[in-house]
Amino acid sequence: MIATAAAETATLLRSRLGAGVLGAREMDPDLLWASVDRSCVREATTVMKEIGSRYLVTVGIDERPLGGGYGIVHLFSLDAEHLFIAVDCPVSAGDPRIDSITPLIPGASWAEREFRDMIGVEPEGHPDPKRLVLPDDWPEGVHPLRRDVAYNYRPPSVEGFAPELVKPPRGSSVLPVGPFFPVLEEPARFRLFVEGETVVGCDYRGFYNHRGIEKLGDSVLTWDRIPFLAERICGICGFIHSTCYCQAVEKAADIEVPRRAAYIRTVMLELERIHSHLLWLGIAGHILGFDTVLMQTWRIREPVMWLTEEISGNRKTYGMNLVGGVRRDITDAQLPRILDVLKTVEKEALAVRKAIADDSTLHARTVGVGPLSTWWAKEICAVGPPARASNVLIDARIDHPYAAYDDLKPRLCSSDGCDVWARVIVRLDELEDSIRLVREALANLPAGAVRAEFDEIPGGRVGVSAVEAPRGEAIHFVMTGGENRPYRWRVRAPTFPNLQAVPAMIRGQSIADVPISIGSLDPCFSCTERMETVSVADGSRRIYTLQELQALAQSARARRGNGDGGAP
Amino acid sequence: MNAAYLRTAAIAVLDVALLLVLSPLFEGVLRKLKAALHSRIGPPVVQPFVDTLKLLGKDDLLTVHSRAYAVTPALALASVLVLGTMVPIGGVPPLGFAGDVVGIIYVAGVGAVLLILTAFASGSPYAAVGGSREMMALLSVEPVVAVTLVVGAMKAGTLSAGGISAWNASHGPTISMTLAGLALFLAVQAQAGKLPFDIPEADQEIMGGPLVEQSGPRLALFRWAMWVRQLVFTLLLVELFFPWPRSGVFLLDLVSALAKAMLVLVLVAVVDVVNPRLKVEQAMGYYLRVAFSSLAALAFAVVGM
Repeated sequence: MIATAAAETATLLRSRLGAGVLGAREMDPDLLWASVDRSCVREATTVMKEIGSRYLVTVGIDERPLGGGYGIVHLFSLDAEHLFIAVDCPVSAGDPRIDSITPLIPGASWAEREFRDMIGVEPEGHPDPKRLVLPDDWPEGVHPLRRDVAYNYRPPSVEGFAPELVKPPRGSSVLPVGPFFPVLEEPARFRLFVEGETVVGCDYRGFYNHRGIEKLGDSVLTWDRIPFLAERICGICGFIHSTCYCQAVEKAADIEVPRRAAYIRTVMLELERIHSHLLWLGIAGHILGFDTVLMQTWRIREPVMWLTEEISGNRKTYGMNLVGGVRRDITDAQLPRILDVLKTVEKEALAVRKAIADDSTLHARTVGVGPLSTWWAKEICAVGPPARASNVLIDARIDHPYAAYDDLKPRLCSSDGCDVWARVIVRLDELEDSIRLVREALANLPAGAVRAEFDEIPGGRVGVSAVEAPRGEAIHFVMTGGENRPYRWRVRAPTFPNLQAVPAMIRGQSIADVPISIGSLDPCFSCTERMETVSVADGSRRIYTLQELQALAQSARARRGNGDGGAP
Repeated sequence: MNAAYLRTAAIAVLDVALLLVLSPLFEGVLRKLKAALHSRIGPPVVQPFVDTLKLLGKDDLLTVHSRAYAVTPALALASVLVLGTMVPIGGVPPLGFAGDVVGIIYVAGVGAVLLILTAFASGSPYAAVGGSREMMALLSVEPVVAVTLVVGAMKAGTLSAGGISAWNASHGPTISMTLAGLALFLAVQAQAGKLPFDIPEADQEIMGGPLVEQSGPRLALFRWAMWVRQLVFTLLLVELFFPWPRSGVFLLDLVSALAKAMLVLVLVAVVDVVNPRLKVEQAMGYYLRVAFSSLAALAFAVVGM
């Protein structure tokens, strides 16, 4: 059925674009790769919209060392047919320009700004062609994801530079939210343009945390190191990213993952959703000043963290995934304990749900707040609970079944409320469903190995994988290379599209509604910006010798010891 | 004559000292209670004292250099202490005078006005938003306080707080006084700056609002003023509207008033724990409804019930 859909799409593209289609082939069972002439990119996008496919992200690839120019690959998903479609537009190195598709798909705006920064291809006709990822004082003409820029390139420092700021509309003043703000756990800057208490517009600047993870993946690390780096993309849903990366490689290299490993991944993914949703509920409560919800949900969440520690050795950042399977098995002895914890969490989460369901003050703060219409959610390509709470029926577990979701069918939890309250309800529903999924996965855990061996992974293959993170659909794109690592690894975290919905959600709202509106997306800036901490340690190791590091650690201990009341 | 003055002065000083010491202690107990409801252990009961001492020992970082700005925290604390001396405690206002109810209504607003002035002067956009929220809160809560005190004055036929308290203690519960008392109880929630009405501060939205630029001794004094304010308003409530039982023995009445105040503050804290923060226009709407309800108390008072 997927093959039919792929063939039909290819035929349609050929009939509409004629000679504009340079080639179309099925890379994977579920990936159609269509190369089109760059002059036809808008027409191809129009066809993609007409057949009802959903824009995911754009991958910019520097193909000059392979003998080409730059590859601009727009990824789409034909959800009903479980098919990914890659519209690949080769751009010549001498003339790096391509028509922007943002006028057709508003959700493509950031991805186009990103390849403009990182690859140096100009999206022509983009409504807002300014920097997204690169700092404002980054030198012109240096595009970090080009292959000739070293991963450890450091631009010369710039003095006295002040970026140009968007001017607030007449009669409004600026209320800065961020770069550091009490309820934004990570740096992001929203300059709110306010009239009195009403927000009339905003200007966003983020990506303060960009650490070049993709660059490390395709220039320094190897296939089996990257899962550990990918896991550190996010401090909450790290397992999502390592799974998504591994699946993309497995698809590209045709590696069959043992069923037991697929089930274990499912268990861990759902446990992650359980603790992430509880975490979010607490933060949402805190944003509204409802600290009781924060304290209680985090107390309920804690046993889940202990549980994952028992299974993997770590509360978070489990280090369990490898290409081909997982590194830790779930033993029979652990099963009763897992079921016990699930029972407690279920009971207590239900109690919280009951307590907040009819809270009139909570309703006053969430119903109708942070509106995201179904139409705009689709246009901006929102994903995850914010999309489902706006009645956009997408869920990567159903649209592109992976791990054990072909056996274990998740419930698609949605709402047509289009507001913060609807997002609360969707997440509470998903929490319950995740508990059911873990139980079913454990009850049906197949026997066998947990990891498949594989030989050399050939170059030039492509894998696209989607994983439904607690925050929405994460996408990993892997193009294999010959040096035991990807040639290009592209990560799209769920917050990347969702954050683009913020301006529409807060326009016309009051200042009091802004934190919860942004918070209702469960934003993860580090995911979006692919910050991670291990690269710091890696970098340190290159600069410091072991002795120096030890000396550093000892001096830190000494400083603590000298402080008042410090530990001996 | 001189002896009487001295005695009044001594009682006023004792009252001020009592308020200064008890208000952080009450706050400490409330924090402990809140922590228990949160499944937390919570800070020690004396933590507010420790915090205050620590803040008082820090450098005074003035972000605005003007003499008026420099003294606002001290004036704010002084204003609530003056308010405290006009509110009966143990049945007797330490500095009561004929018509002190009018004084109470005015002095009650002084602290908030000082906070608003400080906010607007401090030049931070968060403080400006907080200041305007504080102003709206003041405008919507003050009418409730005024109407309830007028009900008391009508019933007792006196404009003296001590008189109203004594009248209520001897006449027992009446419909109008009970209704007015309930309305004042609802106003205490906002006067104490507790959820769902801690809107002017709203850490998560405007980072503490009027107080965002305040630190060290200035912050200590503003917070101390806040604690005294919540205790004084609670005392006003229990002494004027729920003064029973009154033994006539000062010390017994004092202890009973403080115990009742603690009880009211526990209720306030429970409401604080089970509610998220309202938006300022929602809170104004709420207090508008409370104000109208308190007019019902006034109506009952007019017909003598």
